[in-house]
Amino acid sequence: MSYLRATDVTKSYDDLEVLRGVTFEIDPGQVKAIIGPSGSGKSTLLRCLALLEEPDRGTVTLGDARPGPGEVGMVFQRFNLFQNMTALQNVMCGLVEVRRQSKSDARKAALEFLARVGLADKGDQYPDELSGGQQQRVAIARALVMRPKAMLFDEPTSALDIELVREVLDVMESLAREGMTMVVVTHEMRFAHNVASSVLMMDEGRIVEEAPPEQFFTSPREERTRRFLSLVE
Amino acid sequence: MLASFDWHLFWSAFSSGPYWRGALTALELTAPALATALVIGFFVALGALSTRRSVRTIAWLYNWFFRATPTLLQLYFVWYALPEYWHGFAQSWFTPFFAAWITLSLNEAAYASEIIRAALMSVDPGQELAGRALGMSRRRILQRVIVPQAVRIAIPPIGNEFITLLKLTSLASIISLHELLTAAIQLTSAKFIYNEPLLAALVYYLVIVSILMVIQSRLERKFTWTSRGRRRTTAAPAVSLVSHDAR
Repeated sequence: MSYLRATDVTKSYDDLEVLRGVTFEIDPGQVKAIIGPSGSGKSTLLRCLALLEEPDRGTVTLGDARPGPGEVGMVFQRFNLFQNMTALQNVMCGLVEVRRQSKSDARKAALEFLARVGLADKGDQYPDELSGGQQQRVAIARALVMRPKAMLFDEPTSALDIELVREVLDVMESLAREGMTMVVVTHEMRFAHNVASSVLMMDEGRIVEEAPPEQFFTSPREERTRRFLSLVE
Repeated sequence: MLASFDWHLFWSAFSSGPYWRGALTALELTAPALATALVIGFFVALGALSTRRSVRTIAWLYNWFFRATPTLLQLYFVWYALPEYWHGFAQSWFTPFFAAWITLSLNEAAYASEIIRAALMSVDPGQELAGRALGMSRRRILQRVIVPQAVRIAIPPIGNEFITLLKLTSLASIISLHELLTAAIQLTSAKFIYNEPLLAALVYYLVIVSILMVIQSRLERKFTWTSRGRRRTTAAPAVSLVSHDAR
């Protein structure tokens, strides 16, 4: 019985078919890395899993139901922190507005999660005043505070200066060690190799290949995967 | 000119009852008209951004009608023609002030809606996406995230609108509403002296607009999100401004 699952998902924008019948599943505690060229449908698959996009065909389920609000956390490439709120308010927002918690309860939980991503002292700063790495860690805390059953990361380090990538990957690695179910669209091959339980290659709206990282990177089965890996390494 | 400037006359005009009551009337008309216009304009803007074609059409028709016709004509229409359509408007409650309020609100709403629409559109779409990912309803996202950020962008052009509206209130003199400019004109035509009475009115406008500018910059700072409340170095995105020349 799989956990988070997309079954035969199809999605088109106007005439462009971005996902062509993708079936994807992930078990509790697994970390799956998705790689592939731009336009291959990686981000769209994540958006469908997060219910940010409604599939044209196919279903997304968590357990045996549709995921509820905040049950699948999402972290974006460009952080997307609410610009009009402090770091702390960003993290509190979901608890107050969606979970209807009292402000004081939400604040307590938010502080705890900010501390967890190493930003306990940055609660009163606005996104504009934080580095990209700090913003992305706040964004991770904002999703985590909802106690999601799974976390989705859409190229979480692609918009970061090179020296800020590590601090975000560190947070993600510790999450993986704690047993969080994670789907990560990434260009960080080292991360995919070291942290993921399996790696998927996507191209032209389909999953081309899925394998454990060792096998995926050393002896990929598909020609398309080999070609892509030779270009990025 | 300055040699013959009569300070006494200037001061007696400036401090006269018709002047300050006129200025007060202008302000009392401008503020509620703008407030009403912002509320109507907000919903017209939402309509213009709607996914439903019929709603977009209604918003478009509204803006088309109120921007295409002269404000003066609209004012005449509301004051003289409306009571013929419905006799409720022929009652004593329908004062020149009320007619001017209705007209300027409806008229200004069309201009305000374009500013609000541009401001809403300039907010990064990633903000809404993040809200939806948290499970927030669209209404909550609008309330807590989009509107506060759009307000920041809309404040300068709305400040413009306030000033325009303040000066437009003088149009209401044609339906016998006594505001500031009416007081000045009456004084000039009573005494055939122009310099001092007109300058006195001019100073009133300068003072009112100066106070407004102070309030505006306070508001802008309030909607700037840095912990120390200092100004952001990057300017807010440019908003297409509606030209007032044709009004």
